[in-house]
Amino acid sequence: MSSPLRHLFRFQESGLLLVILALGVLLTVFSGAVRIPSFEIAADGSRQRVFTVGADGERVPAFVEKNKFLNTQNLAQLAKDTSFIAIMAVGMSIVIIAGGIDLSVGSIYALASVIGALTFQRFGAATGTAPWLAVTLGALACVGTASLCGLANGGLIVSLRVHPFIITLGAMAILRGIAFVATKGQSIGGFPPLFRELVRKETSGGLSLVPLGVMLVVLVVGWIFLSRLAAGRRVYAVGGNELASRFSGIRVERVKLGVYLLSGLAAGVSALIALGYYGSASSGDGQGYELNVIAAAVVGGASLTGGRGTALGAVLGALIIQMISSGIVILGIDQNYSQIIIGTVVIAAVVLDNFNTWLAKRRLTKG
Amino acid sequence: MPFLEFHGLTKRFPGVLALDGVGFAVERGTCHALIGENGAGKSTLGKILAGVHTADGGEIRLDGRVIAPDSPLAARELGVAMVHQELAFCPNMSVAENLCLGDLPRRAGFVQRTELRTRAKAMLATIGADIDPDVIIGTLSTGREQLVQIAAAVGTGAKVIVMDEPTSSLSAAETAELFKLVRELKARGITLIYVSHRIEELFALCDNITVLRDGKHVATERIADTTPHRVVTQMIGRELLIATPNHLAREPAAERLQVKSLCSPGQFSDINLSVRAGEIVGVAGIVGAGRSEVVQAIFGLDPEATGAITVDGKLLRPGSIESALAAGVGLVPEDRKRQGLVLGLNCRENTALATLPALSRLGWVNRAAERTLTSRYSQRLRVKAPSLESLTAGLSGGNQQKIALAKWLARSCDVLLIDEPTRGVDVGAKAEIYQLLDELACEGKALLVVSSELPELIGLCRRILVMREGRIAGEVQRADFSEATLMRLMAGVAAA
Repeated sequence: MSSPLRHLFRFQESGLLLVILALGVLLTVFSGAVRIPSFEIAADGSRQRVFTVGADGERVPAFVEKNKFLNTQNLAQLAKDTSFIAIMAVGMSIVIIAGGIDLSVGSIYALASVIGALTFQRFGAATGTAPWLAVTLGALACVGTASLCGLANGGLIVSLRVHPFIITLGAMAILRGIAFVATKGQSIGGFPPLFRELVRKETSGGLSLVPLGVMLVVLVVGWIFLSRLAAGRRVYAVGGNELASRFSGIRVERVKLGVYLLSGLAAGVSALIALGYYGSASSGDGQGYELNVIAAAVVGGASLTGGRGTALGAVLGALIIQMISSGIVILGIDQNYSQIIIGTVVIAAVVLDNFNTWLAKRRLTKG
Repeated sequence: MPFLEFHGLTKRFPGVLALDGVGFAVERGTCHALIGENGAGKSTLGKILAGVHTADGGEIRLDGRVIAPDSPLAARELGVAMVHQELAFCPNMSVAENLCLGDLPRRAGFVQRTELRTRAKAMLATIGADIDPDVIIGTLSTGREQLVQIAAAVGTGAKVIVMDEPTSSLSAAETAELFKLVRELKARGITLIYVSHRIEELFALCDNITVLRDGKHVATERIADTTPHRVVTQMIGRELLIATPNHLAREPAAERLQVKSLCSPGQFSDINLSVRAGEIVGVAGIVGAGRSEVVQAIFGLDPEATGAITVDGKLLRPGSIESALAAGVGLVPEDRKRQGLVLGLNCRENTALATLPALSRLGWVNRAAERTLTSRYSQRLRVKAPSLESLTAGLSGGNQQKIALAKWLARSCDVLLIDEPTRGVDVGAKAEIYQLLDELACEGKALLVVSSELPELIGLCRRILVMREGRIAGEVQRADFSEATLMRLMAGVAAA
């Protein structure tokens, strides 16, 4: 094998890239063509349908034939949908690398959305608050709530010495309950228009810039945190061997507190962008996100025994999960199957990972 | 024909030859003692017989038939059972459930509770143990729990029972009870392999004795034909791997570490010791004497510890690692895989693990400085690894140990607590580690070295503290060093 190619294969996430490529090819081949109405940008900047004049002088809407998967609109949609999961998956990966788990991300997401939405509403256009102030306050409320939830998770795990599974399972129910009580089960809308305009900026191809951009920022920050900062090194150490970390003078409790805070923060950032994108929030938001987010982290190579995983892996894992769920729609499979398939993929990823570890161990002892 | 025979038994662990062509024979219905220093291979041999490990070479014959159990269950079916030192049961289940765990009496999936109790009672009765089958195992004392293990072995028809250090955590009364039981089992024709450090015990109980040294067979004799003194000489006589260390030439300087009346409930009490700059002080004792617990307490790992620990005259906060670290104390723990290294991290990351604050600015690790520092110490300690970026999991024991030590040198700790510096390390690396410890002492560092290998302490130290049952039983100066003296202090035997 030539050396740059070998270098590519040594690159930790090359396996994930191959899976993504394979999924892309499969979806392109099997999805078939679709007729999409064509648009043009009119003189006033709005998008207008294109019409052709038929033989009998009638205006007929124009269509273009495109591959159902491989077209800019679908890819833009895929990128946007992936962003929300990927942001949270980076936070989740950090928790999993430290040897923990956070089941409450979906509920943190919901509560942060709701609190953010209520703040927007409270300082909405009717109250005469400056729009920029309303946006800032709402954003702070959303992200702050999520961070506090994460901190509470970490604090309880460290101080009560209860397994993180139990604490975050409890938090999952409690936080969603609080969101429900706070909204009385109603959907909250009516945000400052400025906020929605900010978040919904798109390119002419329909690519949403903000979710994608924030995801890239989170990816870079997560990557720097894990690979360049002392704190990230401690996360790997604590997850890899908690006892040895303690014996090396690392304050294990502080590290654990930090990772749950980061996971909460990531859920808050994701919630904030979704808030701007969809323009409303309810206590039912983010239901079942923990499955997709944990799946993304695990598929991305984070090991539930701790000590292994990367930020890029989490993002690529999120892309794979999202490709599978949107692939189900594109291929016309009943959408109710999506949970079954994602669940299967998670188990398969872990089994594959175990097999890999076993192979590596065998190489070590034989060698 | 002997009942149980070993021929050329060989077992290799990464970096160490634990058993090297061991062969001897055991008579039916005898209690056969297996003795040797730590690392001599006696536990390994017992575990191979009981199917915990598999041998790399040689054969075992039971009743003339070659056996090679590859799991404890397979051994059990061949009639070989092992009584472990540590809890071998599910602690949260009852005695009866544990005894029948492999074959619960059931009908249509339901456990038959009366049948379960009857069976368990019958098993306990075979050894005359008076234990309620409904009691939860975890609430029993170690001695009683051991009886249940023996009942399980006898009850399932074991012909050979391996006992690994059975008396290490028993009270005197429990020990007497165990001895009585061992004699009864012998009378019933059951063969016992009795692994122990405690020489007098073996002489009181066993019929024959096999001495191992460095994985090799030294002697198998009838107890009646030998003496404790003779056994001690057979056990020792290992080659010293270090010439007279250089640090002894210089008189040690000022006192660095001082420990006064250090106690920890249930672990050790009234520990007083001091280590001076340029001095290597040894701590000897049998397993369970409290040696590791003491050094861990000095390092601030025992929140229960009381007493005064001072470094350079400054009092450390008990139970605080930060305080020990700030005073320049480092601990190389006895179990490097569990306590010393993060095996999933590479050599560079492990070496820098305790030095991260100094290597980073505003939380950002300075990679260049990190690489310079870690490569300096890996060169200094002659770590043999493909690169600094290799995972520590793949290194040999000796190189892992060097990394565990480099971690503290990189932090420039100069009071070093080193627990079992050469456990699971091959001969070549041992010599290198000894030389290194000598160099460190010459540089003026203060070293407290805990070891189960007496030749190591005798070779390296200026003086040796001997611990027994959580107390310091005596201090021996270099002029008076001999394995026999130390071993007598360790075991509490009066001089011959």
